[in-house]
Formats: sequence, C-alpha cells, structure tokens
Amino acid sequence: MRRAALALLGALALEACGKLQGVGGPAPPLVSFTATLSGDPTTLLPTGVPDVHALRVALVWGAQWLTEPFCVLPADTTVAQPPGFAGPAAVIAAGCRDPFGFVPANVAASVPLDPTGPTSISLPDLPAPDLLVGDVMARVAYASLVVFDDRDDSGTLDLAFPHRTATGRFRAGGDLMNKDVPDSPDVIYGASFVTMTEPDRRVAYREGDFLPSAFYPRMGCAPPPVAFSVLGAGGFTPQAGLAAALMNELPAEDPATCTESAPGDTTVDVAARAPAEVQEVGCDEATADGSIRYRPPPTDEPDFTGRLLACAHLPTFDTGSQPSTLIQLVVTGRPTDRCKGLTHYTLRGCREDVTCDVPDWDLTQGPPAWWPCP
Amino acid sequence: MRFVAGLLIPLTCASAALAEEAPRLRDDEWPIRSTGRLALDGGLVMGRALTLDTGMATGVGAGLTYGRRFAVGARAAWASASETSLVWSVTHDDYRLRGVAVVQQPVGRGVFGLRLGAGASIVHESRTRNQGQRAGLTGSALMGSTTALLPGGELEAVVSVHVAGPWLLAVSGGPAAVDDGGLRAGWTAQFGVGWQP
Repeated sequence: MRRAALALLGALALEACGKLQGVGGPAPPLVSFTATLSGDPTTLLPTGVPDVHALRVALVWGAQWLTEPFCVLPADTTVAQPPGFAGPAAVIAAGCRDPFGFVPANVAASVPLDPTGPTSISLPDLPAPDLLVGDVMARVAYASLVVFDDRDDSGTLDLAFPHRTATGRFRAGGDLMNKDVPDSPDVIYGASFVTMTEPDRRVAYREGDFLPSAFYPRMGCAPPPVAFSVLGAGGFTPQAGLAAALMNELPAEDPATCTESAPGDTTVDVAARAPAEVQEVGCDEATADGSIRYRPPPTDEPDFTGRLLACAHLPTFDTGSQPSTLIQLVVTGRPTDRCKGLTHYTLRGCREDVTCDVPDWDLTQGPPAWWPCP
Repeated sequence: MRFVAGLLIPLTCASAALAEEAPRLRDDEWPIRSTGRLALDGGLVMGRALTLDTGMATGVGAGLTYGRRFAVGARAAWASASETSLVWSVTHDDYRLRGVAVVQQPVGRGVFGLRLGAGASIVHESRTRNQGQRAGLTGSALMGSTTALLPGGELEAVVSVHVAGPWLLAVSGGPAAVDDGGLRAGWTAQFGVGWQP
C-alpha cells in the first residue's frame, strides 16, 4: 500500500513538471515536403532580368479548369480576314494556353530555396474546400512545387492574369469594366507539375474515397493514398488527351511511370527550365469552366498593338449545324505578357451567354466605326 | 350589461381567493435535526477556466467541515473546460484539493459563512492538433498531454439552508486564483446539497 502510494506520488511529481500551453504555443506543420533544384537558373535568365534575386519554392494548389472551345476546335477558315489579321489558327497558337497544363488556384506556402541542397516546405493548413474536387465523401486536391525568383520580395509567388483589351461594357456606376493588373516581376524557373503531357511529380491530398475524374487525371495509376502524398506520372501526348476527351474517356498513363510515396519518403526534384516554358503555372484564370466572357466592342478602337486578331464564327461542338451568323473578333495578348489569354468581342450578346434571347448589348445595326469583322 | 357582469364575476372571485392567506409552514413541519459539528456537501461546480485564457469550466465538487462558528475541513472538486483555436483543441481537467477554514453564523434555518480554501490544483491538459487526423498525423504529432501541479485557492461566500432533517441546500461562490507561473484569477461557484447530522 505504501509502495503504491509512493509510486503515485512519484508519477505525480514527474507529471507536475509539465508546462500548460493552452491554445497557445507554436503550430506544428501538418505536412512537410522536400524539394531540390537541379540546374542553374542563372543560365536561363529571360530578357531584361539581370540576375537571380531570391529563389523560393512555393506549393501551389491546382484549379479545376477547362479550356474554351475556340482553343481546341479546328480553326474556323470560313470567314474572310481583314487585311493585317493573323487569322484564327495563328490566334489559337499565340493566345491559347496549354489545355493540359497545370492551372494555379492558390499559393499555400512559400519558403526560400537552398540552391545547393534540399529545402523543406511545410503546410500549416489543409487545402480549403474550394480547392478540393469531388464531394465530401471522395475529394482530392493536387499541387505543384514551383521554383521562382521572388523579385519583388513579396515572400510569395504572385499569380498573374492575362491582359485583355478594353471592353465597351459599363458598370452600374458608369465606369467601364476595364480592370487590368500588371504582371508581378516574379520569374518562374521550374515546377514539379507543369502539364499532363510531360512527366510530373505532384503533391496530392485526398479525403475519403477516390473517384477518377478529369481533374488532372492519372488513369492507369494507383489512387492517391488518403491524406498527403507525392505522386508521379509519365504523362500522355496531347493527341491521346484530345482523343480520350472526344470519346468521353480519361487519357491513360503508362503504369510503369506511376509512383506514389509518403511526403517524408521522397524528395521532389525540380528541373530548372527557361521561364518561357514554365511561366504558365503562375497564370491564374478568371473562369474555370471553359465559358467565355464576351465583351461588347467599345466606341473607340482599343489598343491592339502587338496583338494578333482574327474574325471567326462562334465555336460549336455540333458539327452538323450551320455556323452562327454572329461573327466574333478574337484578340490575343501581347508577346510581353506573362500569361496567354484571348479577348472576345461580339456585336450582340450577354457577358456569359452570347446567344442569350435578350441581349445585354446589340450593336448589329450600328457597330463602332472601327469594327473590322463582317 | 350581461357582458360586463360576465367580466366582473370572475374577477371578484379571483380577488376573494387571493385575499385568503395561504397556510403557513409550522415549526413542527419539516423539522430540522442538525445538531452535529460535521457537515458534508456536494454539488455542481462551475467557474471561469483559470488555466485557459477563456472559457467556462464545469464539474462536480464535494467537501466536509467540522466545527460550529469556526470550522475547518477539506474539499475536492473536478472541473473540465475545452477551448479551440485555429490550430489546437484543448481540454483542461482541473482536480482541486483544498484545505478550508470557515467562519459561519446560523440565522433561522440558514447558515451564512465565509470559506477560505487553499491547496493544490492538478491540471491535466490534452491538446489535439486541429485538422491533424485528416492530414494523416498520428501519435504525438496529432495529440499530446501534460499535467501540472499548481497552487491555488478560493474565497467563497457560503449560504446553507436547512430543508428537512439533516439535509441542506448549499450555495457558494467567490473569487478564485491559481499560480501558473503568473497569477490567474477568476471565480468559482457551487450549487448542491449538504448533510449535517
């Protein structure tokens, strides 16, 4: 009895050494990943960038994004192009981003990169529900580890948007709906997940079951493990991807190229690449569902300097129907823009549905003097 | 006229019923049999969570005293409080062991007193990392616990009312404090029953 009491007192004395922390104290990360950089970014400097200022690695969650039909359907060759116009094929080549590319949604973490060794990057939070694709019983998120030069010392990767030309649509207050955010000076030198048509290493987070979907598919690979993991896939060709999409299937990966590992068991190596090849992983999209924001042409001609233009019918997947009588003017971005993107003008339509019954604007009877398309 | 009469008759009857005084409790009804020096009590405890920055602790407590106008005794209580931040979900289980000294004065069927308690608080802390289970964390990365032994005390006003036989209704409350590297002050209260033979 006495021995038991002494043992209890001893245990109490040892326990009593503890320090209560309450809800305070440091927040341990939920997960950590290790990344390395192979290659020398200083040999890949883009024009106008004199040096590498502050290399960082960021964990960027991916968005569910669908390219617009104009970019994947065959170029319309039935509309006569005004003089100086590049035409639809050239506009698609210059203005459409990779339909299989990684599209960022959110930069979750960013840490300075050790260019000579491994760098650990940790997440204090789970991806938010808007980054998870699927229902609450089966959802998944994917991320890319992006190496970039934080030239503005913001501490994070500043995502960029395409620079579209002026619209003729007015807000309720009377101002034109023209909002253009300048590109940040950040330069991207590599990413673990650039496009599905190349081998990739991606961060995955899964909750519940896994249902294969068109959200960065890995058909033929094992499902991602529950919670965080690092996945690899060999990629598929653009032709295989388009063919599978037309057959309403998912493009298959070579199972021999698939890898799945726990975050602590692997190091993700990011190869340094020319910024022009990888800068799209830092390009955000205003719409993710493939819908097009059509714009009414403004009264005065926008500044089209450096941009390519084309007149084309509205795209349709219904090959048996007559093309729309409405002709759109499609404009690319500038060659100096960080992100690709198209601007669509029509003389009649609504912002989100160009074929709406009651149009928000109808200039078919009095188009602006500069309107070049038929 | 019939309508007015219909209103007045019930009102008159009600006034008459109120005018009849309710029967008073006689002293020989619900007699008190408490004559001893020993008194025990127990009940529900609530108060500010002293070892957390915010929150309410609830639990149970019991104690005994021995004496008349001046009494001494011991008390024990357990109270639990849980709070959550963006990162942590924390539960503190506070086991209080107190020696008490009471100064009390009987008034009619009741007893008014002032109780000073001092002793140790054994606080067991359980912390769980929010989102950790969904992230796949296990073991100490997911949750941890620690126990601390802290000095503490209370100064409570105590009101006990003899109800019947040896049974009392006991209510107490007042300021409380523990020393967790710095003095943390709050309040505590108890509502329960007592037994005094």
